[in-house]
Amino acid sequence: MWRLIIRNTVARRGRLALTLLAVLLGVAFVTGSLVLTDTSQRLLDDQFRTATAGVDLTVRDAAAFDSAMGVEVERDPLPAEVVDRVRAVPGVAAATPVVRGQGLIGVGGKTIVPAGPSLLLSWEPAPVGPFTLRAGRAPVAEGEVVIDAATARRHRIGLGAEVTVRAERAERLRVVGLAGFGSGEGLPETTVALVALPAAQRLLALGGDFSEVAVVAEDGTDVRRLRSAVSAALGSGYEVSSSRDVAAVGAAAAKTQISSLQVMLLALAAAALLVGAFLIANTFSIVVTQRTRELAVLRAAGATGAQVMRSVLGEALLVGLAASAAGTGLGVACAAGLRDLAGVFGMTLPDGGLVVTPRTFAVAFVVGVGVTVVSAFGPARRAAAVAPVEAMRRSSADHLAGRAGWGRTVAGTVLTALGAAGLSIVLAGPGSVVVLGEAAVSTVVGLALLGPAVTPGLVRLLGRPLGVAGVPGRLARESAARSPRRTSATALALAFGLALVSFTAVLGTSIKESTARSYAETITADYVVESARNEMLGGLPAHVYHHVSELPQVAVASRLRYGHWKDGQSVEALTAVDPVTLPRVTSLHMVAGRLDAVAGGGVVLAANVAKERNLKVGDTLAMTFSRTGVQRLPVVGLLRDRDAQALSTGYVISLDTYERNYREHVDASVFVKVADGVSGADAKRAVERALADAPTAQVRDQAAAVAGRNAMIDQVLGLVTALLMLTVLIALMGITNTLALSIIERTGELGLLRAVGMTGAQMRWMIRGEAVLVAALAIVAGVGLGIAFAAGTVAALGRATEATLTLPVGPLLLVVAVAALAGLLAGLLPARRAAGLDVLTAIATS
Amino acid sequence: MNLILPDVRTDVAALARDVVKIYGRGETAVRALDGATLSIPAGRFTAVMGPSGSGKSTLMHAMAGLDTVDEGQVLIGDTDLGRLSERQRTLLRRDHVGFVFQSFNLVPTLTAAENIVLPLTLAGRRADQAWIDEIVAMLGLGDRLRHRPAELSGGQQQRVAVARALAARPRIVFADEPTGSLDSRTGEALLGFLRHAAHELGQTIVMVTHDAKAAAYADRVAHFADGRVVGVTGDEEK
Ligand SMILES: Nc1ncnc2c1ncn2[C@@H]1O[C@H](COP(=O)(O)OP(=O)(O)OP(=O)(O)O)[C@@H](O)[C@H]1O
Ligand SMILES: [Mg+2]
Repeated sequence: MWRLIIRNTVARRGRLALTLLAVLLGVAFVTGSLVLTDTSQRLLDDQFRTATAGVDLTVRDAAAFDSAMGVEVERDPLPAEVVDRVRAVPGVAAATPVVRGQGLIGVGGKTIVPAGPSLLLSWEPAPVGPFTLRAGRAPVAEGEVVIDAATARRHRIGLGAEVTVRAERAERLRVVGLAGFGSGEGLPETTVALVALPAAQRLLALGGDFSEVAVVAEDGTDVRRLRSAVSAALGSGYEVSSSRDVAAVGAAAAKTQISSLQVMLLALAAAALLVGAFLIANTFSIVVTQRTRELAVLRAAGATGAQVMRSVLGEALLVGLAASAAGTGLGVACAAGLRDLAGVFGMTLPDGGLVVTPRTFAVAFVVGVGVTVVSAFGPARRAAAVAPVEAMRRSSADHLAGRAGWGRTVAGTVLTALGAAGLSIVLAGPGSVVVLGEAAVSTVVGLALLGPAVTPGLVRLLGRPLGVAGVPGRLARESAARSPRRTSATALALAFGLALVSFTAVLGTSIKESTARSYAETITADYVVESARNEMLGGLPAHVYHHVSELPQVAVASRLRYGHWKDGQSVEALTAVDPVTLPRVTSLHMVAGRLDAVAGGGVVLAANVAKERNLKVGDTLAMTFSRTGVQRLPVVGLLRDRDAQALSTGYVISLDTYERNYREHVDASVFVKVADGVSGADAKRAVERALADAPTAQVRDQAAAVAGRNAMIDQVLGLVTALLMLTVLIALMGITNTLALSIIERTGELGLLRAVGMTGAQMRWMIRGEAVLVAALAIVAGVGLGIAFAAGTVAALGRATEATLTLPVGPLLLVVAVAALAGLLAGLLPARRAAGLDVLTAIATS
Repeated sequence: MNLILPDVRTDVAALARDVVKIYGRGETAVRALDGATLSIPAGRFTAVMGPSGSGKSTLMHAMAGLDTVDEGQVLIGDTDLGRLSERQRTLLRRDHVGFVFQSFNLVPTLTAAENIVLPLTLAGRRADQAWIDEIVAMLGLGDRLRHRPAELSGGQQQRVAVARALAARPRIVFADEPTGSLDSRTGEALLGFLRHAAHELGQTIVMVTHDAKAAAYADRVAHFADGRVVGVTGDEEK
């Protein structure tokens, strides 16, 4: 039996090749995603472990929360006497004060601005310090610095070179050494400057204070007990944590981001596999149809239905195994490429040796074999149902290629109608995103069922323009309409991919447009100063605001700060504003209460936040701050949602309140209103001059500020679209495959056409026409679905964020054009093959 | 585009001279045609008979421009097929040759009417409606034109195929065992029509058959054996 299956599979390898390729690509995608995320997690783990390897305990200022959801809060520095108190605890072998902060490195008049942090640390030799010297010596004296070897190489900074390190103060320092981190030359997208402790304190304006104390336990001391002892000695104002915990928390926070990338990648891989599954089911069903006669002979010769079914499933198993094996290999090979792709779209992942776990192999094989076998199940059942008498009948591919069944059509109609109803409910108002998801699934399944029934009509309608191409065009149309099940499955696979692409495009554009609109309506400032980097809290040094506000060309300057606070289990963001100057650079609409009331220590909520939390003016809101713990803030006003969106969060407090509850002192934005009688360009130049000592600060007009806000969406949008292209590619292979198989089936007919005088060119046109027609069907269904559900999503989101639907006409037209062109390409190979058929052999085949 | 044949008034519609066709190579090579010579006079109904495997179909294909030959010469009118490219041969077939196969003659997605005018539509030419109507009427297909092949009987399908072969008024029509899959009554009706087409409409027709009764409908019979023509009967009558 197995021998027969293997022989069959090998004999039909040509027909199964594209199926194999589809599964292979899907599996490669899954494998690549897993390998990439595993690798990134391992590297981050290593990174955090290395950072704290030689230290047992870390003493820091106490904070109500820290490092949750990737939020790193700044803590108060520690006074010098803490070190002595720690040293006095029995069991402590060494207590080392450590200073850490942000410090930009400048070389040759230019400041290096990495995408990630620019670290400034006090130098400590191993085991306390995580950095090891690669060249030169440690920075022991004044005026000396060690930088990471990666930065040194990238910017050609050699030993003995002069660099500027700019933190709270700037100093010119000489590079006396180059350091590495663990086995690497540095940290990804990060610059590191290591200086002697006093220099670090001076640069960061800490006076005699430290950031933390690194504690090494005496040999044989129980670290947990020591931790309690140190904690008891210092009191509740300080937090003592084991270094392993600190590393774990840091790694966990970084992993949250990696795992959301993983979810996204795997979801896209699932989409690719789903399209692959369509293609597999379609291929097997065509192959079974073409083998009806052979299967019937087998049945007549005494094979049971179960044996026939097993033989088809066995073939699927072989294809699945081969594809999984090759796909896993390809996936591992492509993981690095995927990392580069993520990098292109602004997602930096650590670089290092790939991690391939047994789980990755297991998942790849289960998914690859599973998808193939499950997809082949339907065709296998149909194969088993072939009656022995079919052997005698003149098998008409027509009737087996599948007219739509009654039950199927009814079920499809009902499901599609339900989906449409769900979508309308969401569009009309009350529905939620959950309803929308259900509607989407219902519609897709419904259309898959309904496909064969509506395809002939649709194809003839869409194919009408093909009529001008004469007989070849007409034949192309008829051929597509003749096997509706096949055509609809092929088109639907592509439609699914196109729907995802257009959904992403429409949704992304709508969100971006809404952001732009609400920003433009709310912010009336002429310019805004923001950091060029996407720091979580903005990252503008406080002095920027002071310099800018003192300029004679500036009428008003007003600044925003962001902060994190804890709300039960989740971390939320808030915006701190100056209630006096803000109204002069914005046009805010209060729904209730007054904005200037925040000066009294209250909070203004976005209207939808208030509704969600069931709060009104006069109520209080409990907010947990990292530095001051739980605070009860009176609600003093409600802000229109769109305006809150322009201020980035749904919670607004005053800068004074912020000052009391936060240690952070970086600004997110400084809004600038140009003074009367000063030209915009002059003012901009003046502001830029004032920013000379803040290299990350940028002066932006409205458009640039909006672009900065939307940069993140653009990145995700770009990455998702690029990866969705794989799904579209697999679907296009489906077109090629279906056509190639249908050419095998129609060999006799094609030979006849050639015999009565159809030229090779005409025949190529015919096949390509059919391919384009299938693509057109997919475009209509896919782009239509994508837009419809993006509209639904925007409507559902709109209730929270006032988003409105914006159709990106250009990109959508591009999707349509690319899909049509790709359809043409997909038909090239089958068309060549059809035109190359030998007339006589073709006729003899029938 | 039409391939224009020089319209020379000649008695010979097609000619095969010393044609050799070899299938395969080396040990397994088969000389399907081994010096076959046959001339087809215009306006007459020629039958080709011979044992199975003697090369009749091969010669038909070669003379119809469906296949190339290894040696010798094939002419349609004055055109040497050996000098034509693949594309030119296709156009020649489309415009000047009709062909009826033993079975599977029709494009399943087209109606009978569309199948009949297929060579004309492929050429982008308008059908001569009166001529089509005449053929259709003679073949008794009038009420079947809107049907697709799957809805026609075997005999009806063959008649549609014959109608298509004649539709473009080709110089010559080849039919390879057109009655092979028909019962004798249906077959006789078709043969009668072919003779009628030759005698009344002046259509040159060449037909391969195994059946002596079928051959009796023809004006002349060429006998085939081992890849060559061994004798022609019926020429002396004229
Ligand atoms: N494509 C081919 N490849 C190899 N040999 C072939 C091929 N076509 C025909 N032959 C061989 O050429 C010889 C002539 O075949 P042909 O089909 O012309 O015979 P025929 O006279 O038409 O026979 P029948 O009356 O059975 O149709 C046969 O021996 C046949 O086996
Ligand atoms: Mg023959």
